Amino acid sequence: MKRGPLGWLVLALAVLALVFLVLAPMWLVGTSSFKLPREIINRVPTWFPHSFTLQHYQKLLQTSAFPTYFLNSVLVAASSAFVTVILALMAGYAFFRLEFRGRDMLYRLIMVAYAFPSIVILIPIYLMFAKVGLIDTDLALVLVNVTFALPFSIWMMRTFFASLPRELEEAAAIDGAGRWKTVVHVLIPLLRPGIAAIAIFAFVASWTEYLFASVLIISDAKRTLPVGLSGIIGQYQIDWGLLLAGASLSVLPVVVFFAFVGRWFVAGLTEGAVK
Amino acid sequence: MRFKGQALAGAFALTVFGALPALAVTDVKIWHMEQPPHRVQRVQELIDAFNAANPDIKVSQEPQSWGEVYAKVPAAMAAGNAPDILFAIPDFTTVIRKAGQLDSVADFVKELDGQHHFIPATVEPYSYDGGVWAVPLYNMSLNFWYHKKMFADAGIAVPTTWSEWKAAAEKLSKDGVVGVGLPANKQLYTDQTTYAVMVNNGASELFNADGTLRFDNPKTVESYAFYKDLYKFSSPDAANWTWGEAEACFASETCASILQFSVISTYDQQGGGDAADLGVAAVPHADGEKSSSTIAYSNAAIILAKDAAKRDAAKKFIAFLLEPENYGKFLNMEPGLFLPVTTDGAKSATFWSDPLVVKYKPQVEQMIANSHAGMLFGFTGGHVFPAIGPISAQNILAETLQKVVINGEDPAAAVKAGQAQMIEATK
Repeated sequence: MKRGPLGWLVLALAVLALVFLVLAPMWLVGTSSFKLPREIINRVPTWFPHSFTLQHYQKLLQTSAFPTYFLNSVLVAASSAFVTVILALMAGYAFFRLEFRGRDMLYRLIMVAYAFPSIVILIPIYLMFAKVGLIDTDLALVLVNVTFALPFSIWMMRTFFASLPRELEEAAAIDGAGRWKTVVHVLIPLLRPGIAAIAIFAFVASWTEYLFASVLIISDAKRTLPVGLSGIIGQYQIDWGLLLAGASLSVLPVVVFFAFVGRWFVAGLTEGAVK
Repeated sequence: MRFKGQALAGAFALTVFGALPALAVTDVKIWHMEQPPHRVQRVQELIDAFNAANPDIKVSQEPQSWGEVYAKVPAAMAAGNAPDILFAIPDFTTVIRKAGQLDSVADFVKELDGQHHFIPATVEPYSYDGGVWAVPLYNMSLNFWYHKKMFADAGIAVPTTWSEWKAAAEKLSKDGVVGVGLPANKQLYTDQTTYAVMVNNGASELFNADGTLRFDNPKTVESYAFYKDLYKFSSPDAANWTWGEAEACFASETCASILQFSVISTYDQQGGGDAADLGVAAVPHADGEKSSSTIAYSNAAIILAKDAAKRDAAKKFIAFLLEPENYGKFLNMEPGLFLPVTTDGAKSATFWSDPLVVKYKPQVEQMIANSHAGMLFGFTGGHVFPAIGPISAQNILAETLQKVVINGEDPAAAVKAGQAQMIEATK
């Protein structure tokens, strides 16, 4: 169907409205982090800063443990994403390429992990981890993050495996490649969009995870960003400049990660749509 | 051969005697909820000074968040990795007592009282069931903040009664300014502002002496009705405010007045630091009442350690904090917000010499005076009702207010429903 000028106008306005809705808060957060405190809390918000200061960033980086929280988050999120990708690949291959008894039931069962709200299993997990000495360790967070990201990642893998013809593996087998070689040299390169989608999903989920990070981690030196940042802000007061600077810096790794693997992520998301 | 023997003996002696001091060090772990960096830094300075003066004790801090600590501490106690000292407020102490066996610190508090003289109202919330369950450390009270200049320009005196307060709010609400900034949703800040209104209308008691609820009474209904009236002069977006938003509204001169715990440092940084314009007064009382009161939290330290050496070390550290010279520095980790709980602490030179306290001295004096008339729901009239724990945790005072102010329910009906909800919560 051909779109007339009015149709284009409506479409353009809708896109503009959407872009404004998404970008305006980010713009306000980013630009306000450079404003003087008085301007930040001004009765009428200023779209373009009338003042400029780096004091909030200086305070954030020099007087708070933000750099430590940031590094911890990078470590935990990257490890969680890496482990999730490896396990999702292996599980995906097992579920969608191998034949074994109870396969379908097991595949459906893994999604049960999402049936329980996190808060319900928080205390049992705390007690289990305490017994094996995992409280206050990064490993505890990686385990929890992977546990929650993996079922959905395996489910996503199904579409990607379905898009690869089995003939490719058969051809590799005829050429003498074993199962491992086939996975590494044939399947993984073709599964890159899926891997990117899972990696980003797992990374972002770990990057923003708050509940378990706030309870399983005790020492300040091991806190991740969401928990650390909420502490910096305080209860009976809000240092808006500090909060805005922290929020601005917090989104950077996600933006950088998207910049590198974003196109694969988009390809991964649209992969299943046309099948 | 002889040399080898001497070397072995020397190594043995070094191992034994070198290890002795290390073995003698007692570790004391503190959990507190004062997470902003400057507070953590101040606590660390005091810890460092204590550790330097007491080489046999090593105190360390792990700041926690109020948001999670209610779940975290019972879990840590069950898992055996709880802190040795835990900072707490009265209702949290009832939760901790329920979660584990606490030992009374009555003797220790008595000993400290002999040296520093606690303000009785700060010890009372921790004294029940035949024991004292925590050592008061600092007090916090909600105050009436107002812009002196705005009030003066409008020819309005500082309100002391509800009718004056309402008239002032109405008169000041113009040209983009709101007369008062008040929250109205289900959260702790609303609990606090609601109770601050209730205590000023003789509705401070939520319980009868026998522990039955008496929330549903005409005085409470009047308080909710007044809050609803006053809310008309609050900011349109105020319903969801917490302390930070109210503070920003005040500092930006959009709110002519607010009810606020007094974090002077934020006002000083964000509001331009005009000490002459910051008015602090008691929360106005109902026209039929004679004097003002407010909501106040006596914050305290619970000693969770069971080991005798750790308990002794924990007591030594707490005693160190309450020494006037250290205590002033401790309180000024957040000037204005943390108020003294001891008579000699209130005179501490280190407290009054802090630059912010010097700058805002009249305001701080007023805050201390207000705190002496402070009350906390569930811990009033010489009684402590542990049933307040779930009522407080579920923010039922605030939820009732939300029904009245936001949903437009009749105050009498909402208060009646609120009492039913409290009974259900405490079953």
